[in-house]
Amino acid sequence: MSNAWRSSRATVCNFLLLFLSAGGAIPVHATDTLEEIKTRGTLLWGADAEGGAPYVYPDPQKPDQLVGFEHDLAEAIAARLGVKAQMVQNQWDQLVPALERRNFDIILNGLELTPDNQQHIAMSQPYFIYAQQIVTRKESEGLSQLEDLKGKAVGVLSGSVAKALLEKSGGADLRIYPGNVESLRDLKAKRIEAAVMDLPIAIYYAQPDAALKFSGVSFAPGYYGIGIRKEDKTLLVAVNQAIKELAEDQTLERIYRKYNVWDERQVSLKDYKAQAVAEKASISTIREWPKYLPLLLHGAIKTVEISVLSMAVAVIVGLIVVLVRLYGLPPLQWLAKAYVEVIRGTPLLIQLFLIYYGLPEIGIRLNAFCAAILGLGLNYAASEAENYRAGIQAIPHGQTEAALALGMSRWQSLHHVVLPQALRLVIPPVTNDFIAMFKDSSIVSVITMVELTKVYGMLATSTYDYIGLGLMTAGIYFALSYPASLFANWLERKLRYDRR
Amino acid sequence: MIAVESLIKSYNSNRVLHGIDHEQKPGEAVVLIGPSGCGKSTFLRCLNMLEVADSGRITIDGVTIEGGRFPATGREREQQRQLRIRAGMVFQSFNLFPHLTVLQNIIQAPTVVKGVPQEQAEALARQLLAKVGLENKAEAYPLQLSGGQQQRVAIARALAMEPRVMLFDEPTSALDPELRDEVLRVMRQLADEGMTMIVVTHEMQFARDMADRILFFDGGVVAESGPPEQIFGSPQHERTKEFVRRVASI
Repeated sequence: MSNAWRSSRATVCNFLLLFLSAGGAIPVHATDTLEEIKTRGTLLWGADAEGGAPYVYPDPQKPDQLVGFEHDLAEAIAARLGVKAQMVQNQWDQLVPALERRNFDIILNGLELTPDNQQHIAMSQPYFIYAQQIVTRKESEGLSQLEDLKGKAVGVLSGSVAKALLEKSGGADLRIYPGNVESLRDLKAKRIEAAVMDLPIAIYYAQPDAALKFSGVSFAPGYYGIGIRKEDKTLLVAVNQAIKELAEDQTLERIYRKYNVWDERQVSLKDYKAQAVAEKASISTIREWPKYLPLLLHGAIKTVEISVLSMAVAVIVGLIVVLVRLYGLPPLQWLAKAYVEVIRGTPLLIQLFLIYYGLPEIGIRLNAFCAAILGLGLNYAASEAENYRAGIQAIPHGQTEAALALGMSRWQSLHHVVLPQALRLVIPPVTNDFIAMFKDSSIVSVITMVELTKVYGMLATSTYDYIGLGLMTAGIYFALSYPASLFANWLERKLRYDRR
Repeated sequence: MIAVESLIKSYNSNRVLHGIDHEQKPGEAVVLIGPSGCGKSTFLRCLNMLEVADSGRITIDGVTIEGGRFPATGREREQQRQLRIRAGMVFQSFNLFPHLTVLQNIIQAPTVVKGVPQEQAEALARQLLAKVGLENKAEAYPLQLSGGQQQRVAIARALAMEPRVMLFDEPTSALDPELRDEVLRVMRQLADEGMTMIVVTHEMQFARDMADRILFFDGGVVAESGPPEQIFGSPQHERTKEFVRRVASI
């Protein structure tokens, strides 16, 4: 599937945990997990409830309770094992590493039965047959199969089967989204022509929407299975047995009908035959750096573009804001102050969402690149305005008086006397912000920008080499920010006027 | 050259100047003395509108400003600018622009405010630097100079606007005693050349030597005015007597 929605910050956080765990922080469990579950009395199942309908999501009527067909399935399986089910929230694209870290017992969250997944963990018998569905706007014509999407802007979910399918068929202008809700929004905003997603998601989110339609029949069926650690053989047997029984007594059908995801395909669930999966050697990206480094560098170029342009916006807008705040007419002063306080007091993430997904509702449609620069730039402008304000207020009042006494206007004294001194004072904090911008810019991946951290995330989840890629990525970030810091030092030295 | 009529200035409810009248001929050097907080500096700052008087009228070299309102219209601002161009000011704390060299400090205002061409402004600046004895410091930065040198640059900077009147607000108070003379010497030279000037100072010897007239400020009014011989020799006013006695004993 995945209905998961990701924030790159949380991703980085998870990676950090992985680094730590690589140092041997995780004890090796010798006990049988099935025994452990029974002793504990709960089955811990990992899933991502954020944007997770209809799989697992907070009940719109009672938001403190979870619902969804996988939620009901987890309860049913737990009941067969004689225990209670408890969901453990985890980012979708990090479910497999989290299972290996023993954060929970099983993954039950639209995990596809693919050789890739079976490399690292064991997979149960399938419990659901999904397929891909093309969704378009109501008025669109002739986009009913994969071939029709060539040359069109198509939204897919990061790390999804749809993305892999479209990459294989080629020719489409792929836009990668952190969640399907976002891709459907952009579809309606006409930023993309079609979205391809797992059928249950399309049923829940796209079918009720009058502006959208299913285009053509669903295709490329596949299986969802439950992920279990390879060593937990008894648990695998027990889970397989539970699934088999739930299918036979039609509990599965009842659950799926309840959530409107039942179709005739599900009847053939029992025909599934497990296939042996060939072991693939694990990948060391550091050893194969000529293959991976260029991909990362490509992302790094985007990061530099975004950071530099955003900072340019921030430095200029910040100056305007501070001048209005300190010297403008009273109502404008108030407005400038409000701008700084509101921007500082709200998360950058939400500001980006409002610019990218909110503005189209009032007719302003920016592409992801412009939205990213505007969002980061306007956000940092508030911080630059404060830097400037501190700098300007540090200049003694006597400087202004001397300029005025010489006949300069208010603006001339500002322009020739106060600002040149204040700007020197603010070089260190502004540089600091610039370096922070390199790193903060990773957040724009939430509005489909593919920059350095995003490339890292995508490569890491497919190669599982978090450490090698992480070191390379960190190295690139450092190589970007250190020269900026050196340049600032040089500039500061060059502009000093208090040499004696 | 300078005419002030019933100048009144308050800070909030605290009245600092209680209606000052003052007439000054071209070339006259006037020194303001008086105890701290008597309104001397405020008077000076009203003259070039660093403070806006509550009421009264100020005329300098034919430019007249009415007190009572902050300049808001284009015409009022132009009047203010004309007044400031005519009245050069030297501050206690020098207030040189630290990011500019000595030469740049001096040519900044003439080029920006009056549109004087660069070379012409530079030629005048070098001339003025020679006058204050700092011709070899043109490329130095203010913070590389001693206090006395900085104040002399500040005088040159004010003179570069070719003012008709020079206002000195305690120009030597921030200086060590051994640095005061070099500044006082430049000021004396200016007075000798016929510059119209008003000096607020605590340097009584200097006041006695160079003033054409002394105004004794007390409690926001001019308590007594007259030539130095009168003020220091035979003060008429009780408060003047007391002040002179006190400063003489120091």
